[in-house]
Amino acid sequence: MDKIILNKHNIKSSDFINSADNIKASGKYLLGIAAADERALNSKFTLRYFFGGGGGIDEYRVDADESFQSISKICPAAKMYEREIYDLFGLLPSGHPDLRPLMLYPENWDSSVHPLRKDYNNLIPDMKKYGEYKFKEILGEGIFEVLVGPVHAGIIEPGHFRFSLAGEPVLQLEIRHFWKHRGIEKVCEGRDFKDALNLAAKISGDNNVNIGIGYLEAAESILNIEITERAKYIRVILAELERIWNYVRDVAWIFMDIGFALPAQNLFALQEELMRLNKNLSGHRFLFNSLTIGGVNLDLDSAKLKAIEEAVEKVENIIKDCEEFILNSSTVLDRLEFTGKINHKTAEELSLCGISARASGLPRDSRIEFPYLIYDKLNLKPVLHDGGDVFARTVLKIKEIYVSKKIIEGLLFNLPEGDIAVAYGNKPEAYKYAIGNSETSRGNAFFYIMADDNGKIFRLKYIDPSFRIWPSIQYGVLGNIIADFPLINKSLNLSYSGNDM
Amino acid sequence: MSFLSKLLFKNKTQEIAAAGSDSILIKGEELKRSVNEVFGRSLFVRLVDSGSCNACENELAALSNPYYDLERFGIKFVASPKHADVLIITGCVTRNMLNPMLKTYENIPSPKFVITAGDCPETGGPFKDSYSVCGPVSKYLNIAVHIKGCPPEPETIISGFLKFMDILKASYRNTENTSIKMPNKIINVP
Ligand code: SF4
Repeated sequence: MDKIILNKHNIKSSDFINSADNIKASGKYLLGIAAADERALNSKFTLRYFFGGGGGIDEYRVDADESFQSISKICPAAKMYEREIYDLFGLLPSGHPDLRPLMLYPENWDSSVHPLRKDYNNLIPDMKKYGEYKFKEILGEGIFEVLVGPVHAGIIEPGHFRFSLAGEPVLQLEIRHFWKHRGIEKVCEGRDFKDALNLAAKISGDNNVNIGIGYLEAAESILNIEITERAKYIRVILAELERIWNYVRDVAWIFMDIGFALPAQNLFALQEELMRLNKNLSGHRFLFNSLTIGGVNLDLDSAKLKAIEEAVEKVENIIKDCEEFILNSSTVLDRLEFTGKINHKTAEELSLCGISARASGLPRDSRIEFPYLIYDKLNLKPVLHDGGDVFARTVLKIKEIYVSKKIIEGLLFNLPEGDIAVAYGNKPEAYKYAIGNSETSRGNAFFYIMADDNGKIFRLKYIDPSFRIWPSIQYGVLGNIIADFPLINKSLNLSYSGNDM
Repeated sequence: MSFLSKLLFKNKTQEIAAAGSDSILIKGEELKRSVNEVFGRSLFVRLVDSGSCNACENELAALSNPYYDLERFGIKFVASPKHADVLIITGCVTRNMLNPMLKTYENIPSPKFVITAGDCPETGGPFKDSYSVCGPVSKYLNIAVHIKGCPPEPETIISGFLKFMDILKASYRNTENTSIKMPNKIINVP
C-alpha cells in the first residue's frame, strides 16, 4: 500500500549527479536523503533520495560501499544530509565541499565511531577532546565577529551563531547546531512501533501531533492499518489546533521582538487559553499521547466540540485585530518589511518547505502536495506571498490561522460516527518500508521507516522542516543589521530539537 | 474601538492575571514572601536547555504570560549566569551540551543552586539509552529540587520554586551542598 511513492529507481552512485540535474530540471525538489546500513540484507549501504513535487514523491536508490558521489554542487539542499551521513555512517560523500563533522562533535566524539552502522558496538567514546572544529573566517580590515550561544539570553533552545560584521551590516552568519543531538533515530532501532511513536512525539514537543501524524502515515502503512474516518477527522482537528497555537505564539514573539509588549502579552494569554483547551480535550497541554497506532486516544463529545468552536472563534477575532493593526502601523511595517529576505531562488535551491517556502513564493504545503488523512477532500489552496521577508512570513502565519479555523469548523459538526481506534495485531512483513509525510507549523515532516524481521524498527529516518530551513537564515540575514537577527529568527521560529534530533 | 484602545481598556492583561486562578495567586504570594525573606526581594534564574524536546522550554516561557506573570512574585529569568542565583536545567544532557551546561553553572556566583525541570534531566526521559546522552544531571551537579513532569505545567513549576524556597529556608546558611560535583571521568571535558 504505497500511497505516495510514485516511482522507484535504482541508480549507480557515479551516475547520480547527472540524474539529479535532470530531476531538478523537471521541477522536483529534494525532500530528503535516508541512508541505512543494509549490509545484512544486500551487503551494501543504501541511500534513498526522495524528490517531491508534481503530485507525488519519487525515490532514487543508490547502493554504496564506503563512499558515494556528493550531489551538493548541483543540489545545495543535499549538503547537510551528506554531512550527516558522513558523521553517522562514515560513508564519504566524495566531492563534498565541506566535510566538517555535524552532530558528532570532535570536542567529545571519536570520528572513527559511527553509531548508525549496524556493527556499532554500543561503546561510547571517552569524554575527551578528539579534534578541533574550524569555523569559516572572514578576514579584512575592520571586520569583526560577534559570537552568540550556544546558551542564549532568553528561554530558548541552544545553538551557536557566529556573525562577521563590517560596521553594522552582517557579512556572514555561520550557524553551528546539533548541541541537542539526542540520537533519537538510533534509539528507535529495535523498538516496537508503539514505543517509536512516543519517541517521535518527543522530537519537537510543540509539534508533536503533526510530527506524530507523519510517523503514523509511515507506520500504519507498514502495519497495513486503515484507520476509521472518525479517527482521521479527529487527527486533523488536533493537527490544526496545534498549528493555530503555534502560530499565535509565533505572532506574539514578533510583537515581543519589535518591543511591543502589549499585543504580545495578549497573544501569549491567548496561547495559554489554547494550551488549556488542549488540556481539557486530552488531559495534556501539548496534546501528548493523543495519537495511537490505529487511531486516536481521545474522542470529542459535544461539550468538547463546543469548546473548540468557541476557542477558534476567539482566536480569529483577536488575530483579525492584530492583522489590521500590523497592516496599518507604519512603525510595525518599518521593522518587518524588507527584513530578513529569503529570495525565491535561495528558497528553491535549499528546498525549503512550509511557511518559509510559501513566503518566498513557493507553493509547498504537504497537505496539498502529498495529501494524507482527509486533506485531499478539503480543497486547500496554498497561501502564498512573494515578499520573502519577516512581513511575508508573519502575514502568512496569520492567514494560515484563518485557514486552520475554517478547516476545524468544517469538520467539527460533521464528525462521522465510528470507533476512534482500530485494534491491530499485524506483524509487518520483514524489511518492508514506507514513507510518511505531514505538514507541521514549520513545514514538511518526513519519515522513512523500515521494519526488521521481528516486527520491530530496523531503521527510522526523520527529517524535520527545521533541518531544511535553518541554513536559509544564513542567507536571510545578509546585509541586515545584527539587531534584526532575533526578529528574523523568530519569524521562522524553527525548532532546535527537531533539527538536532 | 481601535486595536490599541481595545488592548488598553478592554483586554487588560492585569485582569487576566487576577482572574488566572486562585491557587496560582496563593502560591505566588507565598513565594513572594519567601523570596523577600531569603533573597531580599528577587530571585534570579538562568535557564540551560541541555537537550529537551522543547516542550519544557515552552512551559517555562509560559510562566511569563499574564496568567502566571512570575515576575510579580519576585522571580526573574535573567540573561546572564553572572546575575543568577539559580540554574534551571531542562533536557537530558547531551554530550554536546555537557560542557556549556557546566560552564554556565561555573559562571554563576556562589551561593548557587540547581533546579531541574522535567523528567529528562532527572532520568534521561525517553532519550536515556542514546549514545549521545550522558545525563542525568545529578551525575555532575547537586540538585536542590527536581520538578517532575513531561513537561511540568507552569503551576507545577511554581510549586517547585516553593519547595525550593522551603528547603532553602530550612538551611539557607549551609551552602555546602551546592558545591559542584565532578567525577574524575569528566574532569577533562574540553
Ligand atoms: S521532560 Fe518531557 S517535555 Fe520535557 S524535554 Fe523531556 S520529553 Fe520533553
